[in-house]
Amino acid sequence: MKKFLLAALALVMMLTCFTACGGQSDLAYVEDNGKLTIGITIYSPMNYYDDNGDLIGFDTEFAKAVCAKLGVEPDFKVIDWKNKETELKAKNIDAIWNGLTVTEERRENMDFSTSYLINKQCIVIKKEDAEKYTSTESLKDALLTAEAESAGETAIKADKNLKNATYNPSDSQQNAFVALLAGNVDAIVVDYTMAKSTCGSGDYKDFVMIEGIELTQEEYAIGFRVGSDMTAKVNKIIEELVADGTLKKIAEKYDLTDLYEEALGK
Amino acid sequence: MSFLDVTLKLLSGFQDTLLLFFFTLLLALPLGLVFTFGTMSKWKPLSFVTRGFVYIIRGTPLLLQLMVVVYIPGIVFNSPLVRWPIFAGNTNAAYFAGALFAFVINYACYFSEIYRGGIESISQGQYEAGQVLGMTKSQIFFRIVLLQVIKRIMAPVANETITLVKDTALAATVNVYEIYFMSREILNSEFIIWPLFYSGAFYLIFNAGLTWLFRHIEKKLSYFRS
Repeated sequence: MKKFLLAALALVMMLTCFTACGGQSDLAYVEDNGKLTIGITIYSPMNYYDDNGDLIGFDTEFAKAVCAKLGVEPDFKVIDWKNKETELKAKNIDAIWNGLTVTEERRENMDFSTSYLINKQCIVIKKEDAEKYTSTESLKDALLTAEAESAGETAIKADKNLKNATYNPSDSQQNAFVALLAGNVDAIVVDYTMAKSTCGSGDYKDFVMIEGIELTQEEYAIGFRVGSDMTAKVNKIIEELVADGTLKKIAEKYDLTDLYEEALGK
Repeated sequence: MSFLDVTLKLLSGFQDTLLLFFFTLLLALPLGLVFTFGTMSKWKPLSFVTRGFVYIIRGTPLLLQLMVVVYIPGIVFNSPLVRWPIFAGNTNAAYFAGALFAFVINYACYFSEIYRGGIESISQGQYEAGQVLGMTKSQIFFRIVLLQVIKRIMAPVANETITLVKDTALAATVNVYEIYFMSREILNSEFIIWPLFYSGAFYLIFNAGLTWLFRHIEKKLSYFRS
């Protein structure tokens, strides 16, 4: 009953809030709230839990460093990745920061920060198929999956061999891994960063990446609301974190140095 | 992750599942009756509006309704749900309340139609008998009709209730960290898949209890034969 009353009261407050909520800069809005609400998914090595159940990962530590400079608290919110644009637009979150690939289509719904990591698409197969599948050519009659609308899907459509394979998009990259585990597909195209930390662990212990295949390369950045002044502010902070070596240290910790250096560090 | 760790994590999610279930039931059962009075009202505008509302809610997916409740306040009214002062910055409470709201409205509509069927199944003769005895309309409803209706609608209500237990998994899409969400989280961070299927056991055990409960209630009501 209490929760119902809360909801009813909230409705009334929503109606009274219209005038109060408009016309403020996004940066001021975040500073007023005292926290930056960041939409994430559990995605190793970006944001995941350690053995104590604490949230760690490259993006976790990166976000903490940026928020410290902003003078606000990071508030990590696990969201459904499919709803990330809607969450951002609805202001339920203030940033998407979870290995977000920069794409032209996404620019309609968000502004991107400076790219901070290079990401590649890679093909993951079962170890037992390692001799059968060695090139994209050998996969042209295979069953494939990737996350719908992801960089992996773009890579499949762009490759002259892979585009002939039977392709069924998955709900998420995580579901693509499950599909491979179940044998519903022969190979999956996923983010290199994710494949690197996933292959060989848990139920995915017999998964391997096919070495030496160059698919499309893209960049990771933080997503902010379109037209937000947060983007410029955070870009400045990223510059500082690059200059003082903080970001490089975090990259080393999560074994991402090569991808970091290609994007930012020299 | 050991079996115990997984069980504990799933249990923490199941707590949210149960909360969502109980609160939905608690609020939707009476609200459904209000909707029934609306649709059965002799006053045309009221019955027209209520029937239209029930049509919209029953005619669209619950999944979509959840997204409307959680996202429309921020997108259309620039007043994001999670920032409503009432939640005092507790975003988990905000998402939970949003999901609860959608569930209550959705289930109340289904319940209201079950009630309507039950009420209309009571023969006109009983109303007339009540009138002959000089009872008022509300006396007839609460003293004669209602108890018979409750007995008749028990089976379909039990059906909806069991469906509700499983439907709570939909709340995972709007960030309610219930048991399905938790099992996905284990898969995504530990890369082990069995917890996903293990979570089904929690629903099964709970539904076994519900099935027993409803059978018990039906038995209790069985003296009331018409």
